[in-house]
Amino acid sequence: MFNVSLTGEFVAFFVFSVIIISGAVLMVSFTKVVHMVVSLAAVFIGVAGMFVLLNAEFLAFVQVLIYAGAVSILMIFGIMMTKHQDVEAEKGRSWHEALAAVGALALFGLLFYAIRETEFPVAQPFQPAQDNALEIGKLLFTGYVVPFELVSVLLTVAFIGAIVLAKKEAE
Amino acid sequence: MGSWLDETLTWGNTLIFALWGIILLVLVLGFVTYAIYFERKVIGWMQLRIGPNRVGPLGLLQTVADITKLLIKEDTIPRKADRVLFILAPALAYVPAFGVLAVIPYTNELYFADINVGLLYYVALSGITTIAIVLGGWASNNKYALLGGMRSAAQMISYEVPLVISVVGVIMVSGTMNLRSIGEQQGDWFWQWNFLPQIIGFVVFIIAAVSELNRTPFDLPEAESELVAGYHVEYSGFRFAFFMLTEYVYVYAIAALTTVLFLGGWHAPLAFLDFVPGIIWFLLKFAFIVFFLFWLRATMPRIRIDQLMGMGWKVLLPLAILNVFITAVYLELFIKG
Repeated sequence: MFNVSLTGEFVAFFVFSVIIISGAVLMVSFTKVVHMVVSLAAVFIGVAGMFVLLNAEFLAFVQVLIYAGAVSILMIFGIMMTKHQDVEAEKGRSWHEALAAVGALALFGLLFYAIRETEFPVAQPFQPAQDNALEIGKLLFTGYVVPFELVSVLLTVAFIGAIVLAKKEAE
Repeated sequence: MGSWLDETLTWGNTLIFALWGIILLVLVLGFVTYAIYFERKVIGWMQLRIGPNRVGPLGLLQTVADITKLLIKEDTIPRKADRVLFILAPALAYVPAFGVLAVIPYTNELYFADINVGLLYYVALSGITTIAIVLGGWASNNKYALLGGMRSAAQMISYEVPLVISVVGVIMVSGTMNLRSIGEQQGDWFWQWNFLPQIIGFVVFIIAAVSELNRTPFDLPEAESELVAGYHVEYSGFRFAFFMLTEYVYVYAIAALTTVLFLGGWHAPLAFLDFVPGIIWFLLKFAFIVFFLFWLRATMPRIRIDQLMGMGWKVLLPLAILNVFITAVYLELFIKG
């Protein structure tokens, strides 16, 4: 019916999908902030697993390093420094929820329709590079050198801004 | 092992995967048991004591007895603790510690996973253990545990940066992040190993690695004299055992990683000694680094908390960046030009 052969790749895809979806659902439904961050970290790891399945190992482990590692720790750190026993306030009016449900269903219908209607071009057999970290490095320093440098300038600006804000508060 | 991933997942293949995992797990558990024994013996000798000598011949079963005691101990969870996270944290700490071992090559033929971003995989996964330590400290709902967890997060983030940048030099020289290729490219004489050409990177790497391991002189997250026991103060029984296990598995991982990156992996130190199998050389170098960590613990006092961050950001990070710069200039002038 679904026409799939049971390879290790398929099992891994299934496991990662379950991690991503359940992580995302739990993230929305948890009430404690720290629990939300943990389920968010699970989603990040699941997405990294998907990148591995797509032969993008470099992207996958950078995803784990930056999102699952650094960003999650930063959020947990921030929560612990502030009122860490905070629980989300109880839900508001019921018509509000009903409206949100209608909106969500409409969005789902729209996306589903669009995906079903789209004519996808026949996929070319994909040839993954032998060492895709090397290929990414080459592209970054040839074709995409200007965006790459602009991003580093942006990061430096954010960095200096954070220091200035912290200094102002210390005084 | 790579080709098996594309095959149809038969029960036979699953069994092979599981079997290799279990073999590695048993080896690691054996290593941890005797690493703890030797740590206590070595530190005992250095301090003119005897060390464990009661259980079994020469005290060889001391750790086994300790672990048995931990496993049959009553499992306590504080009433005001965050129950789910309290239970999740030790497992979450251990899984990445075991996961990073997959990319370590022991010899040219004996390895588990041969992925081209092995080094990045190691660094990325080891960051997840930090989350577990912080969560464990937070979930305990104890101020010492929370302080320990926060110290641990600050320390591990600060020292991960110089750790990663210090190996960039090695990556530039080797031109790959595949640990097996990095090991293979180092020559059969000890001066062709990476630790001499990359001496700044090597020193920064060792210091940052000891700090990542939370071992003396950087064991601030569990400083007994200030924080009782740091992030695992509320843990007992097998959950505590899991945190300890994580720590020693990382000792194994860091010792193996240092061997592969800087000490020539499975190569003999002198070319005419290459009749000895590579795995023996690997194990010798590996054992030396583990011993070095124990030696360091017996020698150094604990660094002060206010000096810790300064050292990471103001000393190690500039040195690591300097190393990258020098390596780049060297490669440009002498290798390419």
